[in-house]
Amino acid sequence: MKKRLSSYIGALAAGAALLTVTACGGGATASSQPEEASTITIEHAQGSTSNVPVNPAKVVTFDLGVLDTMNALGVEPTGVPEASYPEALKKFSEAKYAKVGSLKEPDFEAVSSAAPDLIIVSGRTAGAYEELSKIAPTIDLSVDAAKPMESFKAQTEKLGKIFKKEDEVASKLAEVDKTVADTKTKAATAGQGLIVLTSGGEVTAYGAGSRFGIIHDVLGVPTAADVKAEGSHGEAVSFEYIKETNPDILYVINRDTAIGTAGSTANPILDNELVKSTNAAKNNKIVNLDPAGWYLVGYGLNNVQAMVTAVADSVA
Amino acid sequence: MTTTAVRPAAPARRNRTGETARLVAAAVVVLVIAVGSIFVGVSDVSLSALMANDAGAWEIFWVSRVPRTVAVVLAGMAVAVAGLIMQLMARNRFVEPSTVGTVESATLGILVVTVLAPDSPILTKMIVASVFAVLGTALFLAILRRLPARNTLLIPLVGIMLGGIIAAVTTFFAYRFDLLQTLSNWMIGDFSGVLRGRYELLWIVAVLVLLGLFAADRFTVAGMGQDFTTNLGLNYARTMRLGLMIVSLISAVVVTTVGAVPFLGLVVPNIVSLLFGDNLRRAVPWTALFGAAFVLVCDIIGRTIRFPYEVPVGMVMSVLGAILFLFLLLRKRNA
Repeated sequence: MKKRLSSYIGALAAGAALLTVTACGGGATASSQPEEASTITIEHAQGSTSNVPVNPAKVVTFDLGVLDTMNALGVEPTGVPEASYPEALKKFSEAKYAKVGSLKEPDFEAVSSAAPDLIIVSGRTAGAYEELSKIAPTIDLSVDAAKPMESFKAQTEKLGKIFKKEDEVASKLAEVDKTVADTKTKAATAGQGLIVLTSGGEVTAYGAGSRFGIIHDVLGVPTAADVKAEGSHGEAVSFEYIKETNPDILYVINRDTAIGTAGSTANPILDNELVKSTNAAKNNKIVNLDPAGWYLVGYGLNNVQAMVTAVADSVA
Repeated sequence: MTTTAVRPAAPARRNRTGETARLVAAAVVVLVIAVGSIFVGVSDVSLSALMANDAGAWEIFWVSRVPRTVAVVLAGMAVAVAGLIMQLMARNRFVEPSTVGTVESATLGILVVTVLAPDSPILTKMIVASVFAVLGTALFLAILRRLPARNTLLIPLVGIMLGGIIAAVTTFFAYRFDLLQTLSNWMIGDFSGVLRGRYELLWIVAVLVLLGLFAADRFTVAGMGQDFTTNLGLNYARTMRLGLMIVSLISAVVVTTVGAVPFLGLVVPNIVSLLFGDNLRRAVPWTALFGAAFVLVCDIIGRTIRFPYEVPVGMVMSVLGAILFLFLLLRKRNA
């Protein structure tokens, strides 16, 4: 009997404690009410997230394109992926930016301890969306390769809205649009292009609709060959294939330059008799695209401008 | 002669002319496949174009087609023979350079040299890869000597585990240095990059295969154990070293020039042994011919299955090799 009474008292005390805690919690929510009002709903690749804070203090992103856009808009991230950063984004390799995983795999503990207000994923990390959503509001800003420009603009405008930089985004996008339009007119008559990626002695080709398809689809460089667009890794081709398609402009993305010999434009893989017999080689139109920009960063506000400019120069 | 001690002399002598005729016939078949391979490709190189002395066709012929076919034949022969030698030394039918850590060690070597000296010439890479391959294989053989029982399945299992550990180390460093995708390019054998001026180092393996042919009997004897070998007046340690060198060099040269070609060293010697028994001097030329034919066929499939694009030969071989290997295993169990 005595025992039962004491347990009753214990339960009561616990109940009272719980009540107090809930009350306090309620009070806290009430006091932070004005901040909660400044959340917006963002429609994205994996649905819509309603509690995206405006001007979030702590942002974690896994996408170098998004990071590039944030950098262009002067917004500082809290957490970034562990990656070999290209020159333009070099500062993000510093220790003051928390490293929250690789370009492909989030480190959930690191993300959690960074206590972000917003997490932004994309293509490489889109699969982790559900898990990351449990940590903080998460949006997926993957760019749709089927309509890259529209998709890129839409994603960038969303970032403008979140960071309250709509005007800057609009003016920068207008700049990109202008370069695109200029390039298009010149590209129409500049000859046919072929896009290849070289890696470890091997060559893969990319066509319209692929991850580098913006050259054909958006900038209007005619295709030298109708390369199928399946997956993100292109089609393995022989040097005979390059000779036979005989492009007027050969766009080269050299993955190997990332390995120590960065900045070098010489490409030992393409230095052979068959490639030299193409129009591109004869007219000195083998264009080495910045591998980090094209391969790693992709759709960021500064980077897209740089990508478009590189193609514009090639058709000038 | 050590040979007479190992094989029954009389029937072998009776069959010798028939055997030579069959070998020649097989060589002709391989030659036909090789010629066929020369005429498969994106550019138009037809017999009529060559006859008409079309300069463009002849250029492709010499720059691209002949080098590729020669590279395929050399790599196919060498890897198959390396597998055979490995199997004799380990006295186990389920052992080959890519299941005992030799290929993985060679790859680790390339990775190390790529990270430390990315601009070094291919010969340097090959030498470093060879050193690593020798060390890895020697480690396997050393472990093998300490295994209590020569259990048929234990030996390849140990080899696969050792290879797995080396591959794990390689993958870890590749991951740290952002080289994972480059690594996968090395690990999947592919002849699409072969052109005149880019495969010639493979001729080294032709010399190694010849060396293997002449030393073949010694490996058979050495495979029977140290005491037996010494009784026959052969230096056991020296023979094992020679075999180790041949296998490691072949693996390193092939991995640095075209990448790893899986299952070849396993499947081909087993097929040859099923068909012709275990006489090594006979088995070496047959293994070489079968190896060449197998890779030629796989490379032709890889080039035509998604024409004008390519499927790496390593991928085709993994599929065909795995099917063949399973077939062999099931057959053995039923027998």
